[in-house]
Amino acid sequence: MKKKRLPKFIFNFFCFLVYVFLLAPIVVILLSSLTTTEYIVFPPKGLTLRWYTELVNHPEFMSSFALSITVAFGTAIIATAIGTLASLAVVRREFKGKTAVVQLVGSPLLIPSVVFGVALLQFYSWIGLAASPLALVIGHIILTVPFVMRLVVASLVGFDRSIESAAMNLGAGPLKVFFQITLPVIKSGVIAGMIFAFITSFDDLTVALFIVSTDVVTLPVRIYTYMQYQYDPIITSVSSIMIIFTVILMVIIERILGVGKVFSSK
Amino acid sequence: MSYLRLENVVKTFNKTEVVKKLSLEIEKGELMSFLGPSGCGKTTTLNMIAGFLEVDGGKIEVDGKPVHLLPPNKREMGMVFQNYALFPHMTVFDNVAYGLKLRKVAKSEINTRVLEALEMVRLAGYEKRYPKELSGGQQQRVSLARALVIKPKVLLLDEPLSNLDAKLRQEMREEIVDIQKKVGITTIFVTHDQEEALAISDRIAVMYEGRIEQVDEPAAIYNHPETDFVSQFIGEVNRVQGKVLETYDDQKSKLHFFGNEQIVPVRYTRNSEVDFFIRPEKIQLSLANSDNAGFETKVERKMFLGAKTRYILKAQDKQLVADVSNTVLNPNQIQEESHVFAYWNPEDLLPSRKAR
Amino acid sequence: MQPVMGTEQDLLLKQKKKNLNRKRLDTWLLLLPTLGIFLFFFLLPLFFLFITSFKTFDPGSGIGSEWTLQNYIKFISDPFYLGVVWRTVKIALITTLVTIIISYPVAFQISKAKGRAKNYLTLLVLSPLLISMVIRCYGWVIILSNNGVVNNTLMSLGWIDTPLTLLYTEFSVVIGMVHVLFPYMVLSIMGSIERIDPSVIRASQNLGASSFRTFFSVLLPLTLPGIFAGSVMVFSLSVSSFVTPAILGGPQVKVMSYLTYEQVAVMLNWPYGGAIGFLLIFIATVTIIAYSKILARSEKGVAIQ
Repeated sequence: MKKKRLPKFIFNFFCFLVYVFLLAPIVVILLSSLTTTEYIVFPPKGLTLRWYTELVNHPEFMSSFALSITVAFGTAIIATAIGTLASLAVVRREFKGKTAVVQLVGSPLLIPSVVFGVALLQFYSWIGLAASPLALVIGHIILTVPFVMRLVVASLVGFDRSIESAAMNLGAGPLKVFFQITLPVIKSGVIAGMIFAFITSFDDLTVALFIVSTDVVTLPVRIYTYMQYQYDPIITSVSSIMIIFTVILMVIIERILGVGKVFSSK
Repeated sequence: MSYLRLENVVKTFNKTEVVKKLSLEIEKGELMSFLGPSGCGKTTTLNMIAGFLEVDGGKIEVDGKPVHLLPPNKREMGMVFQNYALFPHMTVFDNVAYGLKLRKVAKSEINTRVLEALEMVRLAGYEKRYPKELSGGQQQRVSLARALVIKPKVLLLDEPLSNLDAKLRQEMREEIVDIQKKVGITTIFVTHDQEEALAISDRIAVMYEGRIEQVDEPAAIYNHPETDFVSQFIGEVNRVQGKVLETYDDQKSKLHFFGNEQIVPVRYTRNSEVDFFIRPEKIQLSLANSDNAGFETKVERKMFLGAKTRYILKAQDKQLVADVSNTVLNPNQIQEESHVFAYWNPEDLLPSRKAR
Repeated sequence: MQPVMGTEQDLLLKQKKKNLNRKRLDTWLLLLPTLGIFLFFFLLPLFFLFITSFKTFDPGSGIGSEWTLQNYIKFISDPFYLGVVWRTVKIALITTLVTIIISYPVAFQISKAKGRAKNYLTLLVLSPLLISMVIRCYGWVIILSNNGVVNNTLMSLGWIDTPLTLLYTEFSVVIGMVHVLFPYMVLSIMGSIERIDPSVIRASQNLGASSFRTFFSVLLPLTLPGIFAGSVMVFSLSVSSFVTPAILGGPQVKVMSYLTYEQVAVMLNWPYGGAIGFLLIFIATVTIIAYSKILARSEKGVAIQ
């Protein structure tokens, strides 16, 4: 018995170390945000909420936060809507060029986003589209639709269509069938897609780095550029707020859907 | 005047005709079964009536009006699916109320009608449950209530009992017939189970390879099958060969088989070899050949089946299966490897015919 | 009777055609928004960038007026740039390897867990995905910097006298990438572990194999598809990655994605930046295809449910 215990212990300890590794940077940021020093240090020296209240003197972070939320929200709604419609077509219809379409829509996952960012910036300047929330939303839609479609297609593939036939038989036209029957049943896939799209858009740095102007700076870009010139704890408090925000979001989602459901649609 | 009429209905899949110029007339209030093996086209035809498949030729009329060009949501038919197809995200009440809500029926009326429908299928009190909390039989009943509550013109049932176990099937089919008769709705019942079809139908349409072999009342289908397929598909049959010895003017022929001769009421050609069928329960067995009408067979095996016993007989190298009621003949009297005499009434012979 | 039948047939055919056209229209309407955005804002910009990569550089406007292959030739023939390619690939390879090693035990542990523990562990492993890469990388900056956690700890333990340069090295980039890409590998391996028919494991144990043996001869080979699939994902994501090398490597550890950014955003040399970008796409795509081929060939006779 003793012989079995040691390897098992090492195994569990190893896994434990990995979990520590996973959480390390996040914990470090959260705790560093409480330091009393003017520079970032871990473990923090002293505890204070000063860097959170300091944020008031940095309205640029607030406006970046607002911008990121707006863009993420817009991206999530639009990407989910058009992605769901496209998924319906892909799963249920046959048409010429279907493979090409599927590959096209899946390719943002394969193209390094920095190249896409460059291409988009060039294109925008050609067509005269200045950096704006809209410009960001478009870029983010491209990044997120492939994920949305993966999740929605997964929900549609196992879908028992006889309930749609039953609804039609009872008198429902195609639109009613979609909104009253199909959509509610694939709800978890669609919502999972929406969440994924929101988070991907909110966190994106690579593409947003190219779609930037004096008043259009998303939060990740703001943090990135700030850190290149300054190393003060304000960054940690901003980051901590982002972390807390994400966690709250996930808790809300978990309450509504349940963890298993969100990830099982993967 | 027929209520539901199919005229020369055709369906083609990938250049093959799966339903071949099918014509059928169904009376108002009738329970018609579509019976046949898988692939015979019965479900395809049902789906065309319901509107889920396009008709490739011919027409379908309900109450004199053509419906085959209408989309499925405008045909005023109620359908019960094999896998129940209840809406998983709605309660039993909402499932049944769905059709009524679409028709913009007043809320209070919806309430009354839904509760009535649930009572009719003996599910009063289940309104707040969700489909996943119900058993197969219960789901099927909700499905039935949902289809009937909208007072459709026609009720379509697509193998509704196939997913239930044997005992439940019997119970449910009786309930379905009861309800159907009470409501008086024209009904089509698709099934591959002949016992089911025989038990509940007013008439049965036996289908094979996209065609209707015979449409008749159950007894007629069973006792007077008109094609070989029907003979063999319904119930069980033994296939027997005989030679025509003589023919008579009054449409009778003398047949020779198994060293025996019999006069049968069918006109054959002299000296030809003919095939015919005889059902196992029509073969009578006795230990003695009293009036020399029977022929000798050897009992290869006997199987006790409760109310009757099945005897596997061998006569002149051909096998015959005979089912004899145990009250008529005590199985203990007959041993395996012994000899018995077999006899049947000439009227019970089912002549083999090519399909119509 | 004939003419009446004729018109009835006509009506039928007309209706069928109408239905077919309606269906076609519906399909394209469903696809139009997505297709439109992708064609116009994805394919087209990339196409234009591709064209641009064959143009000369004009210091004024950024894009010259003549055609040239110089951008590509310059990159491929310069050992410095080839060194960057090698570094990009090397980092990706090391990242993939390390990720496999640390993912496997965790994937195994989570697969064996039951109920709530499993849910929480899965959430734990996936949660870094939800938090911005920028933030995670800055966490590592704090940990690995000269007066960061690691150095301070090592110095206070007396193991070193002067701080180790951990940041802005290939090491820090790998750490960051492993941290970011770890969940993908875990999910992939978990997927293949859970697809194993448990009776195969039991058969092995029944035949007398020790746990060790069962692992190496039965479990590991059966999960190879998961490992491979995860590696393809991790490798290609690593090669294409921008944020992690930019923050944890900076200008000291230039990888191809950073070069692309630098050429365009700093040097304003769009043609050259575009060329580097497409070379990067090439590398990433070739890897995925090569991996897929190997994956296909190695998938023989695996007892997967």
